[in-house]
Order: sequence, then C-alpha cells, then structure tokens
Amino acid sequence: MREFMQILGGSRGLKLFMQYERYKLAAAVRAALECGAECRKPPNEVVSLLFSIAKRKGVLKEGCQLAHVPEPKAPPPQAVEEYFQLIDDLVVDRMCEYVAKPPSDVITSEEALAYYQALVSAPFYVAFRRAIYGKLAKLYKYRTILDIGAGTQDPLDILDVCEIHGARCELTAHEVDQRICADLERLASKHGFNVACGWERLGNYDIAVVQNVLHWATDPLKVLMTARRHAKNMFLSQGVVEGSGIVFVMTKVLGSIRSFTWKEVEALARQAGWRMKRRYAKYPDYLALFA
Amino acid sequence: MSLAARYKCPVCNADAAVAITPELLREAAEKGAVRMLARCPRGHAAVLTIDQYGYIRSALPVRENARQDCEITEKAPTSIRPRLAAVLEKGAVTEADVLLLEKAKAAGWVICV
Repeated sequence: MREFMQILGGSRGLKLFMQYERYKLAAAVRAALECGAECRKPPNEVVSLLFSIAKRKGVLKEGCQLAHVPEPKAPPPQAVEEYFQLIDDLVVDRMCEYVAKPPSDVITSEEALAYYQALVSAPFYVAFRRAIYGKLAKLYKYRTILDIGAGTQDPLDILDVCEIHGARCELTAHEVDQRICADLERLASKHGFNVACGWERLGNYDIAVVQNVLHWATDPLKVLMTARRHAKNMFLSQGVVEGSGIVFVMTKVLGSIRSFTWKEVEALARQAGWRMKRRYAKYPDYLALFA
Repeated sequence: MSLAARYKCPVCNADAAVAITPELLREAAEKGAVRMLARCPRGHAAVLTIDQYGYIRSALPVRENARQDCEITEKAPTSIRPRLAAVLEKGAVTEADVLLLEKAKAAGWVICV
C-alpha cells in the first residue's frame, strides 16, 4: 500500500481526502435542504441515504441542523481531483434534481454506464486496486482466481498484477449485469480469461476476490456464501461509511443498493462461513483475507 | 548511458527496439513495471510493459482508430472531459479507453462523424 499512499500524498493526503469527503457530503446535504428536502421525510432513497450517512458522520445534527464544515484550505490530492469532480458532477450539482425526481429520471441508463466506466477506470482507483491485489492479497500466488462482480476493469487489473509478477493466473470474471457481461466477453477473448455470467457456471477456485461488490448486491450474504462454496480463500475489499460516505450516494445514483459499516461487512463474512486470516484495514476501505 | 531492448511489433511482426534508460529501470523497480508507447520501423504503435531488469514483458497493439472526427459535446461532465480529450487526441490506447469512449458515445458525451 506504500505506493498507493505515495500517490495520495502520504498521511497528509489521506487526511485531505477525508476532509474533502466530509466537505462534499455537507455540500450535498445543503443542496438537498435548500431544494426543499425534509430531514424527517426524505423524498426518495437517494436523499434518504444521503441524510442517513450525514447523520452517521455528524454532518447532519439533531433537528435537521447542518454542521459547519469548512472547505479545506489545500486542494485535494492530485490523484483524486477527478474523483471529487465526479462527485460534484453526479451528486452535489444534481442534488436539487434528485430531490424532485428519481435518479433514473435525472441520469439516463447510458449515462450511468458511462459514469460507471469512468469511475472504475479512473487512475486513482486502478492504482488502488493494483496496490491491494499486488501488495496485500498477493493474487499472483494463486493459480485459479474467481473475480466476483468483476465489472469491466477489475479483471484487467488482476491480470496486470499477475503479469508484473511473471505469474500465469487462471482468471474467471463473474458478473450478473448483462450489459457488463457483454463487454467482459469481448475483453476475455482478447486477454485470455473466462467469463461466468450469472451464478450457475462457477467452478472451484483457489481464491475469490470480492472488491466493492456488496453495496451493489440485492443479497450480499448470498454473494459471500457463493464465494465460500466455490473458493478456498477470499480477499474482501469494501468501501465503508466510516471512510467514504458520499461515494455511496454516488453509486446509489448509478444503481447500487445500500451502504455498509466495516463491522457489518465483517459480520456478513463470518455469517457466510468465512474465517478471517488477516485484516489489513477497517476503513476507509475494509480489507481482509479470509479462508 | 542507455541500453536497448528488442521486441516484435504485435501488428506486423517486425523487429523493433526501444532505449532502456536508468530512469526507466528505476521507475520499474519502484512500481514493479512500467508502460511505454513505442513505434516499430513501419510506424505501428505498441504499448510495452517493461520490468525492472529491462525485459519487455508484453507488447500490445494500440488502437488508433478512435482519433478522427470526434468531438466532446456539452453534455459531457466536467470531471471526465480531460480524460475524453486525451483519448480523442492520442487514440484509445487501453481497453479502458476503448470502453470509456464507447460508453461516452452512447451517452451523447462524444459524437463522431
């Protein structure tokens, strides 16, 4: 993770990142309140999630009072500038519209897919995934890898890590979204990995990778139980509200289901029958290896 | 002083070479590997992955067909404009670029004639 922390600008960069997270969260809440959203009765799931995260993080206080969150004096770390601009574009600047309409009336499904692709392939996110796959999970040591809820970028990052370490990883990318599956099939034919669309065609694997999947799943326990049934080990990486709050509102707009605390993530993994071998971090991203 | 590493062009199979500088090796040692763009004598572009020993791990062809006659529309979000502009200017080098451009077109953020 040293490389990723360097990209972020060390502990000072991480602190700035957290300050901006909070600042953007407050900006989104202010926009929602100014546009007529009520704290006690949020108009829809997006605003409801925004308010619940803001309450949990102390940005929204008793009696619907917005805490004073000053703008950080220094600019955000360069590596995450695009991320915060994305939050502005997709959440803060459109909050008024979300108060009045469901997200599907604000963002078309084509736009949602384009935003999704931009998010998963953003340089900071690619650097993060390569750091955790190479330095923490050491995925190159496993022969057969199952990437659950892979999306379009994750398999490429895993294969890159394997290639850098001179390992021949046998990767199966799993996905349930049919549109992403179609993209995966195209990538797979060029990059030599397998694709499993849906839950039916899975085999047995040395390790399953579950990276920022649970908040998209209608049944996150089923995801982890399926991983348990098909893999000997599991590397779990999940953004949690203690670290990143506003990002859950952003993914909610794009179709995700809910947010998690690190304790909820860990409890789900145990409930699915996994035994923790090593926990690397609780937040901003929950990172752990299970067997 | 720099050394040269040889590779086969992934498009036409021609022999090609790139200079391996100490800076490049240092960067590869820090990051595990580095990527660089190179052209073979026949002009085909390839993305090379080079390890800390100066060994070329892979040479992948660059897609250059996305360059011409495309422009970013006003619908494109501010956050993604710089990346889209880079893709349009340099061509879609990676699979991620190809997918982003494809989705951006579908979303009406980029139009091509």
